[in-house]
Amino acid sequence: MKRYDLIVVGAGPSGLSAAIEAAKSGLRVVVFDENANPGGQLFKQVHKFFGSKEHKAKIRGFRIGSELLEEANRLGVEVILNATVAGLFQDKEVTVRINDAINHYKGDAVVVATGAAENIVPFVGWTLPGVIGAGAAQTMMNLHGIMPGKKVLMLGSGNVGLVVSYQLLQVGCEVVALVDAAPKIGGYGVHAAKLARTGVPFYLSHTIIKAEGTNHVTGVTIGQVDRKWNIIPGTEKHFDVDTICMAVGLSPMAQLLKMAGCAMENNPQKGGYVPVCDAYGETSIEGVFVAGDVSGVEEASSAMIEGRIAGIATAEYLGFIDKAELTEKAETLENALSSLRQGMFAPENKGKLIEKTEEGYDISTHLLQNGFFTDQEVEKYPGVTKQPGVHAVIECSQNIPCNPCQDACPKHCIKIGDKITSLPVIDEQTTCSGCGLCVAACSGQAIFLVNEDYQEGYASITLPYEFLPLPAKGDTGWALNRGGEKVCMAEVVGVNTSPLFDRTNLLTIKVPVDMAMKARFFKGGSCHAQG
Amino acid sequence: MNSRIAEHPILGTIEKGKLVTFYYDDKKLEGYEGEPIAAALRAAGVMVHRHTQKKGEPRGIFCAIGRCTDCVMVVDGKPNVRTCITPLAEGMKVNTQYGVLEKSARRSEETA
Repeated sequence: MKRYDLIVVGAGPSGLSAAIEAAKSGLRVVVFDENANPGGQLFKQVHKFFGSKEHKAKIRGFRIGSELLEEANRLGVEVILNATVAGLFQDKEVTVRINDAINHYKGDAVVVATGAAENIVPFVGWTLPGVIGAGAAQTMMNLHGIMPGKKVLMLGSGNVGLVVSYQLLQVGCEVVALVDAAPKIGGYGVHAAKLARTGVPFYLSHTIIKAEGTNHVTGVTIGQVDRKWNIIPGTEKHFDVDTICMAVGLSPMAQLLKMAGCAMENNPQKGGYVPVCDAYGETSIEGVFVAGDVSGVEEASSAMIEGRIAGIATAEYLGFIDKAELTEKAETLENALSSLRQGMFAPENKGKLIEKTEEGYDISTHLLQNGFFTDQEVEKYPGVTKQPGVHAVIECSQNIPCNPCQDACPKHCIKIGDKITSLPVIDEQTTCSGCGLCVAACSGQAIFLVNEDYQEGYASITLPYEFLPLPAKGDTGWALNRGGEKVCMAEVVGVNTSPLFDRTNLLTIKVPVDMAMKARFFKGGSCHAQG
Repeated sequence: MNSRIAEHPILGTIEKGKLVTFYYDDKKLEGYEGEPIAAALRAAGVMVHRHTQKKGEPRGIFCAIGRCTDCVMVVDGKPNVRTCITPLAEGMKVNTQYGVLEKSARRSEETA
């Protein structure tokens, strides 16, 4: 039996973070993961993360994965792959299946960071080939370079459903509809807006009645639900699709902890059956810690911080650092963690209908039901101003923990302040240089540069563009509004692919001046995104 | 249907191993060495991986990460191989699975 100071189960964002912090304090650490590649789901995340600069906001998930792996390797953390942890026992003995053999390991401390598994919704035909999890779609397209299908219907409007739908558009799939039984969109409004302006229709208060097909999916029927979740007769709609994607939440994978005898609780705010743990992630069994989704489903950003805290706590538990050092290091991390848990999407607000922002602005019900603002609604937010010449228009209306736009602006035009969930405010005393750094820095792609004085009768709009083929200067096509409708002809007058933007290319289009606050997407002759 | 992504707007070109041939129900197909068998099959347009034991219902990729076991097939004579996490190799023989055993193939075909 091999011994380690610390055994970590799971090489995802929280497991690797825990291993890194423990190794920094001098612990001998091994990480087991059942997958062939480390990084958990990070390498499938091609979008820019939310949060603060200190905690990897505006960096794409897969790059964060590479950074964590490099750091773990540099610190001498041993990562063993294709190694399924099959048992965890009270004396911190761990059984691991590698190839077809069971191996025994013993740790003086253990961090369980097994993450979460996807939920499913059963409907008639849900077992047909072509019905897949949203995670499967991400795995196929972003790891293996395979389109999951040509025409896809997404079930679930949480951040996973919204982000994966956008990723499907990016590889050239058509998303025919985004469906959710809830009456409002569950994820960030900015993620929904990215889809709506390409023309993806949202069907809230709708669910799947059946998947159609004999050997594989050839279509789907959805219908509207009443308050008791029953289908309202006569509301059925059919779509020809080859793929149905489910993004209906995640459940913590806490089986190992239950097996070890940890005290468990059923906590809906945390996404299900989870171990009881303290602020450092220590369970009811001394020396057995948890971090990440296994202890409550959240975002990868918070999983990484929880992992770091647990890693430091194991070092203190084993006497590598003293209590004072733990308290000091953990405090900074705990503050960061609690800032990520503020705002409208905080765990305690799960399922609540929030009608106003912290600042007192109305939340757009049109956004929550359709994925985009009405033209009138957008003008009242503090990021939207009318100014002469080029200026940023920030269509950000929800209190979410994110602030890269504030740091991106070299002219300090954008203010969020210390509270990371506050809405960005445009300071009208400053002058925008039109550099576009804020447009590319916004993980929600909610910032546009508008210039209503571009030419006599014409305005220019600079928008973030992450599709192929990239239009060229001089191309003409349609300008689409926030709802994805063609509103006018547009000419591409600028394309900026600076490496600083990390592949969020900036497209500047010229439109009639009365479209300056309406046009928000460009559809060229052969662009991948639908319209 | 060509479902291979030639170029990804964020990831660029997705690196692949060398092109190899393998056999799907005795039909010669091509895929990239090291990619999951399931990826090569999906790229070739194959949707059905197996038929269930009792009702003979079709099943294919569902989770793509080795968790659900919906995509198992008979690979080089071994049944219940999770094709979504098993790397493709030159000359592999990948057969549709009927039921839970490699031998049940013929019986299920007769009743189908």
